[in-house]
Amino acid sequence: MNASPDPYAGAPDAALLVAYASGDGQAARILTMRLLPRVLAQATRMLGSQTEAEDVAQDAMMRLWKIAPDWRQDEAQVSTWLYRVVANLCTDRLRKRRGVMSLDQVAEPLDAAPSVAAQMQTQARMTALSDALAQLPDRQAQAVSLRHLEGLTNPEIAQIMDISVRSVESLTARGKRALADLMAGRKAELGYDDDEPE
Amino acid sequence: MMMTNPNDDMLEDLFADARGLTPAPSDDLMARVIADADAAQPRATAASAPQPGLWARMMDAIGGWPAVSGLAAATIAGVWVGVAPPSSVEDLTATIVGDEVSISLFATDLVFDAGVLSDG
Repeated sequence: MNASPDPYAGAPDAALLVAYASGDGQAARILTMRLLPRVLAQATRMLGSQTEAEDVAQDAMMRLWKIAPDWRQDEAQVSTWLYRVVANLCTDRLRKRRGVMSLDQVAEPLDAAPSVAAQMQTQARMTALSDALAQLPDRQAQAVSLRHLEGLTNPEIAQIMDISVRSVESLTARGKRALADLMAGRKAELGYDDDEPE
Repeated sequence: MMMTNPNDDMLEDLFADARGLTPAPSDDLMARVIADADAAQPRATAASAPQPGLWARMMDAIGGWPAVSGLAAATIAGVWVGVAPPSSVEDLTATIVGDEVSISLFATDLVFDAGVLSDG
C-alpha cells in the first residue's frame, strides 16, 4: 500500500498535541510513532525490565493524552516534559523495589547456548544497574539516569528536573559515586573480572 | 596518566550497555497507546459531531418526537373527520350551517353572459 505524504512532516510535537486535543486522531498516531520509542527506551534503561518499561511507557503516553487539552505551547517541549514524566514514573517503581528485592536477586543465566548466555548476562547487568539505581535517592537516580543512560547534557537535565545546573552536577556526582559503591561487590558475578564472558 | 577507579570503568561499561538498549515498541504496545489516545480524546467526539441541522432544530423547537407523534395523530384525526365525518358531527354541522351548502366557485352567470355576447 502506498503511504500518502505525511501532512504532519516537520510539525513540532506541541503543534501535533494541540491538533490531537482539537480532535485530530491522526495526530495521536504520528505522536505515538515519534515519541513512544524514546519513552520506551528511557524506561527500559532505568528499569531493566521490558514488561515494566512497557507499562511505564503506556502510562507516560496516557498522561500526555490527558494533559493535551491544557498544553501550553510556549511552556515546555513535549520531549522535555516526557523525560520528566518517565523519570518520575520509573523512580516510583524503583522506590517500590527497594526493600522488596535485594541486590542478590539477579536473573541468573540458565542452561543456554553461549550467545544466549551473553544476552542473559547483559540482561543481568541491566537488572543489576536498575536495582542499584533503586537504592539511590529519587533525585540522584533521575539525574544519573538522564546524564549517563540518556546521554543528556547538564543544562538539559536542569530543565527537565527544574533545578540549577550546579544541582545537576552535584546530584550526578553523588549518584555515580553511590552507584559505584553499590556495584563494587558484583564485578565477578556480572562478568567484569574477565572483560567479556565466554 | 591519571589512574581511574576500576569501579568507574565498570560503571562506564554498564552505562554504555544501557545506552545501547533501543527497544522497538511492539505492535501490541503501539496499539494499546493509540487506543488510549482515542479513548482519552473526549473533545474529538464533540468536535467531530455534526452540528444540529434544520430538522433537528425544528424537532427541538416543537418538543421532540412525542410532540411530533401528537401532531401526527391530530392531523390524521382531522383528515379522517373531513373524509368520513361521524354522524354526530354531520348532525351538528347540519344544525349550524344547514343541510345543504352550495358554494359557487365560478361566476356562471358571467360565463353565460359572455357566451351570449359572443353569439350575437
